[in-house]
Amino acid sequence: MKKIAFITIFALILVTSLVKNSTKEIEDKIFVLNENIRPLTEELGDVLLEYNFLSSPEKLNQYQNQYFEKDLIKIDITKIKKLTEKNTQIKVSDFIEKVNNE
Amino acid sequence: MSDKKNNVTLEEYENEFLYKKSKTNLKIEFNRIAFIFFVFLVISIIYSIQLLHLGSLKIEKITKPLIVETNYRADIVDRNGSYLVKSVSSIDIGISPIEVIDKKKLLINLKWIFPNKDYKEIEKKLNKNKFFKFEKNISSINYEKIMSLGDKAIRSEEKLTRLYPQKNLFSHIIGQIDDDNNGISGIEKSFDKELKTAKEVLRLTVDADIQFLIREELLRFKEIFRAKGSAAILMDVNDGAIISMVSLPDFNPNERKSIIDVDYINRATKGVYEFGSVFKTFTVAAGFNESLIEPNTEYLNLKKQIECNGFKIREYSKKTPTDLTVEEILIRSGNIGSVRIGQKIGEKKFKSFLKTIGIQGIIDFDIKEVGKPIPINWGKCKLATASYGHGITTTLLQIAKGYSIVTNGGYDIKPTIIKKKRVAKNTQKRVLNIGVSDKINKILRKIVTNKEGTAELANVKGYEVGGKTGTAQISKNGRYTRDKINTFAAVFPSKKPKYTLIVMLDEPKTNSEYIYYYRDGREPTKGTPFNTSGWTSVEVAGQIIEKIGPILATKYIEN
Repeated sequence: MKKIAFITIFALILVTSLVKNSTKEIEDKIFVLNENIRPLTEELGDVLLEYNFLSSPEKLNQYQNQYFEKDLIKIDITKIKKLTEKNTQIKVSDFIEKVNNE
Repeated sequence: MSDKKNNVTLEEYENEFLYKKSKTNLKIEFNRIAFIFFVFLVISIIYSIQLLHLGSLKIEKITKPLIVETNYRADIVDRNGSYLVKSVSSIDIGISPIEVIDKKKLLINLKWIFPNKDYKEIEKKLNKNKFFKFEKNISSINYEKIMSLGDKAIRSEEKLTRLYPQKNLFSHIIGQIDDDNNGISGIEKSFDKELKTAKEVLRLTVDADIQFLIREELLRFKEIFRAKGSAAILMDVNDGAIISMVSLPDFNPNERKSIIDVDYINRATKGVYEFGSVFKTFTVAAGFNESLIEPNTEYLNLKKQIECNGFKIREYSKKTPTDLTVEEILIRSGNIGSVRIGQKIGEKKFKSFLKTIGIQGIIDFDIKEVGKPIPINWGKCKLATASYGHGITTTLLQIAKGYSIVTNGGYDIKPTIIKKKRVAKNTQKRVLNIGVSDKINKILRKIVTNKEGTAELANVKGYEVGGKTGTAQISKNGRYTRDKINTFAAVFPSKKPKYTLIVMLDEPKTNSEYIYYYRDGREPTKGTPFNTSGWTSVEVAGQIIEKIGPILATKYIEN
């Protein structure tokens, strides 16, 4: 009985200290990762900002006028087709039917 | 002999006593060790609890920061994740003249880095011996150059700057901030606290691409019809999510100008107007909701003109027949017929209906710049004029809300610009009776498709557009003028509406050069025949739907 109690308590202390130690290690790793992510997030934000600006409708219109001769056209919804894959076969149907049936 | 025996007995007793004493001693020693281990156990349990507690505290810290960072403001994105506002840190350079060792040398160095500055003014400031800002938002190259001078008098200050990559596109929605990172208008103002504390971006319901297309059309037609201003709202009728909200004229928030000109008012939310005949839809819907009328209910011998307290109410067109059904009254936009329906409903029920659909009173919205409809002194004549949309004011946003409720099956919605989880239809509160929307939607569709209707220019193939026009005279200094507010409230597809598009032109004029291409294949005509909604805002709405329709139909199919 004495031995069991002693071993249990000793094991508990040992496990607690081991858990604490590993937690500290994980915390350190998390801290390092967070510090590494911070500049990457900032960089990603800047790149996304640049992308949003360059691909904004206003810019795209500007590029279109600058580099292409033809004007942009409006898409007629009745000419949009819907592709459905069934049993390795692709079925082409009018998209507008789906809109009407909704 | 007997004495001897007694002695032996005593010794045995003594031994027995000693044995017991030693046994007790052993027990005490064991308890001490157990007690020490017990204390250790308790300490280790407390320690473990403390560890768990600390662990849980950290999670709280991530979601709810205790300290508000003064130099932080969350970014704002549209529903697709495109930046509408982005925070970047910038550096301002200041000079403390007291710490300058050699003023002449410093000025020469500064001239070399910033050759275009007014150095007479800077020299004056240097002689005043008072700290001053030398350069705001310095570039990284110039920052390196100026700091390499190594002058202690030069001080840098990191500041937060907001960039608006979409420029004018969302100016009225986003608003502006002041130099101290406080929101002063739009979302920046109403979500000021959240933007300062939230660690995640604020996602809006708007779509930058659709907003661009709608703004382009509004700009084009503002020129064509020489309008003072214009506005449009595109809203999801089922959850009140605003996909686009444009008000012209707008401004570029990157310029950080103080907007004091009233012409720059947000016409979609703040401007309060009489919208005219678009109100007739609400009158008819109120009649359906109270089961007082049906689409085929007949009104016979309708007069061309009636009078109420000296105020004359006339039909817009002399061609309007005297016998009309409810459906025909709405299709032909009959004033007298609408008055008769309004009188049948009665003041109390009509007021209650307008309150239910959110037309009266200040609307609860995500931005604080909302208008307050002018309170009405209800009475017999006010009911008559309000039933056809005159003498009653509201905002464009409230018209959009009202049209959404009367066409979506009668479910209450709250217009919003903040992206939230979609609420299931069965959990939404129904505020109108079943069948009201079906009847209204059929009539709205006929207004666009019928020859007698007023909105045939919006009959864009493939979208089943329904809607109601409204041409209202503007009241200035208590008198109606010849200036107009032309509005078109569209819903599409009318069989089961998904979107409502409200287009409003403020003081448009006719254009003798504009060519109208009819959608039924008729020969085009040149020039605007009448300054009415049917020839102005309906044309704008038709052009908008033609452009945004394919995007809405394909991109939003899953949503």
